[in-house]
Amino acid sequence: MARFCGPDDLERKKKELKAGPGNWIRVGMGSCGLAAGAEEVYNTLVDESRKRNMQIEIKKCGCQGMCYAEPLVEVSVEGLPVVVYGKVNKEIAVKILDKHVAAKMLVNDSIFDLNT
Amino acid sequence: MDKRIVFIKDTDSQEQERTREFYTAFLDQLRENNLQDEVQVLRVADIGIYGQGVVAKVLPAGITYGRLSNADIKKIIESTIKEGKVIEELLLNRQPRQLRIVLRNCGVIDPESIDEYIAHEGYAAISKVISGYSPEKVIEELKVSGLRGRGGAGYPTWMKWNFTRQSKSEEKYIICNADEGDPGAYMDRSVLEGDPHSVIEGMIIAGFAIGASNGFFYIRAEYPLAVERINRAIRQAYDYGLLGSNILGSDFSFDLDVRLGAGAFVCGEETALIASIEGSRGTPRPRPPYPSREGLWGKPTAINNVETLANIAAIILKGGRWFSGIGTEKSKGTKVFALTGKVKNSGLVEVPMGTTLRDIVFDIGGGTASGKGIKAVQTGGPSGGVIPKDYLDTPVDYENLQKLGSIMGSGGMIVMDDDDCMVDITKFYLGFCVDESCGKCAPCRLGGYQLLGILSRISEGHGVADDLEKMRKISEAMRKASLCGLGQTASNPVSSTLNYFESEYKEHILNKKCPAHKCKHLITYSIMQGRCKRCRVCVMNCPVGAIGGDRETGFYIELDKCIKCGKCFEVCKFSAILKE
Repeated sequence: MARFCGPDDLERKKKELKAGPGNWIRVGMGSCGLAAGAEEVYNTLVDESRKRNMQIEIKKCGCQGMCYAEPLVEVSVEGLPVVVYGKVNKEIAVKILDKHVAAKMLVNDSIFDLNT
Repeated sequence: MDKRIVFIKDTDSQEQERTREFYTAFLDQLRENNLQDEVQVLRVADIGIYGQGVVAKVLPAGITYGRLSNADIKKIIESTIKEGKVIEELLLNRQPRQLRIVLRNCGVIDPESIDEYIAHEGYAAISKVISGYSPEKVIEELKVSGLRGRGGAGYPTWMKWNFTRQSKSEEKYIICNADEGDPGAYMDRSVLEGDPHSVIEGMIIAGFAIGASNGFFYIRAEYPLAVERINRAIRQAYDYGLLGSNILGSDFSFDLDVRLGAGAFVCGEETALIASIEGSRGTPRPRPPYPSREGLWGKPTAINNVETLANIAAIILKGGRWFSGIGTEKSKGTKVFALTGKVKNSGLVEVPMGTTLRDIVFDIGGGTASGKGIKAVQTGGPSGGVIPKDYLDTPVDYENLQKLGSIMGSGGMIVMDDDDCMVDITKFYLGFCVDESCGKCAPCRLGGYQLLGILSRISEGHGVADDLEKMRKISEAMRKASLCGLGQTASNPVSSTLNYFESEYKEHILNKKCPAHKCKHLITYSIMQGRCKRCRVCVMNCPVGAIGGDRETGFYIELDKCIKCGKCFEVCKFSAILKE
């Protein structure tokens, strides 16, 4: 990594970073998420999306605040609202990939929040 | 986002029944209109609204309807879905309750990536400061913002920084107090785990403002993930030249290091914390001199809480005036609370100062998990007090909570329902403080122990009439004479519960009854013969064989053997066990 020698370098770096990919999944991996099993959910999402050869970025993030509904998985797919799935387990994680990401249909009974 | 979606949820109960029924009816009617491929109907687990009947949210328009019956489906399909019109009489108008400043990036960015933080305006504040602010201007901006310390006492941050800046010394220090120890409070942990760079940026700006070139994170060792992420974040910041010498090409240099606390609650007190970093025993010392004059290794030191520091970058970027526009007259900005206890949606909430307890507990927290009535809300941890349900409409800020005999504290908020006994709760908090008292000063060491003894006696049914007066006296003495904040506030739970729930104490002392059926020694279990079906489930589950009798003559509990574990009460399917 290059050192920033002045505010301009930071600004340049920020511009470079802005053009991110559109579709992503974020898994809450704070202590509350991990305690509820976020690690397993994250691994399932990574493995299963690879098996299906899906073009989607799977990221980690901290606590969103809804600790009662952990593990939380936030999904952004083009053409659909950004939603947060809660109390996600392996089965729901697979459903998210097959239904939400691939078929562009939201998954019933697991959405806890809407980020629009 | 072009697809039309209708979110459905019955907000009155946790059962899915009505949601499912409405969902099926909606689907049927969509099919009748041949719209099933264009509109997706969806059952959701939570819609963020409580007690408003069946709620439907129509996207992408974002219209929310409440108190719906099946008869309304036709209207929604005809006007809203087909023609895009809003049906005024069904509309549920709701303002968002939460406002995220401290938690702006928590759950949004990858805490292990400095690049994501930079992409979200990260380190833009320090860049702005270095490009054109004098240290005085930074402090002035904070003064305008009205930011007060989020660790509990609410001391104005700009004053703390200004005193440290004015103290003359070659070396100065800035410390981030991340020794969060209140039972049920974990705001700081989540910020450190979810957005470590925002705290680091706050510390760099603090260092610039007070003229310090060194900073320390004091994090409790029980937060391994927070420690790991802070360490990683510090390394990344060094790699980018955002820490170390000549930050962003300027002549300002700043180094950061981490020190771990070994889990003593008193080390959250600033003088004890400093002693602990110095390698001495973590006990407080009398103030003055305050750390802003003589702190770490005798040098001027500013100590700020995690949440305070996480606010700094946002204030610099958006301006102090913007920040002071949020909140109440004397308490500006937002506060993060860890909402726990008997509440349905436990978790972190960040609300503008001045939001009422009712809004926090019911609108965000969804009320009690059990559906029972709320008895009180405890704020401020072991140094705080209880706020009874009659005061739930109080706007939360530093002054109001103090008036009610509690404190803001670091932000723990524990909801208690009718099943919670105030004597029992007080005993818990006092037990905590007695365990954590460092023992240096007598009022805290002895006073706490005596109070706990009296409380235990009361809960065991041996309380006497003048106990209440005695407790008031000891509490007052501890408050006045203890050396540090721990001892001065340790008796707060006692005085506050005595103030609001004296009758409950009297019930324990005079009638030897615990109204909430919590205090083991004051309850008895018996079998109501009329309801008992003689299934023997209680007999099989009793761990001490205290249930005698047989199928012919009926069963009874032998009181001298019963250990009051409550197992029979739990397992009885016919509610035949009486607890009184």
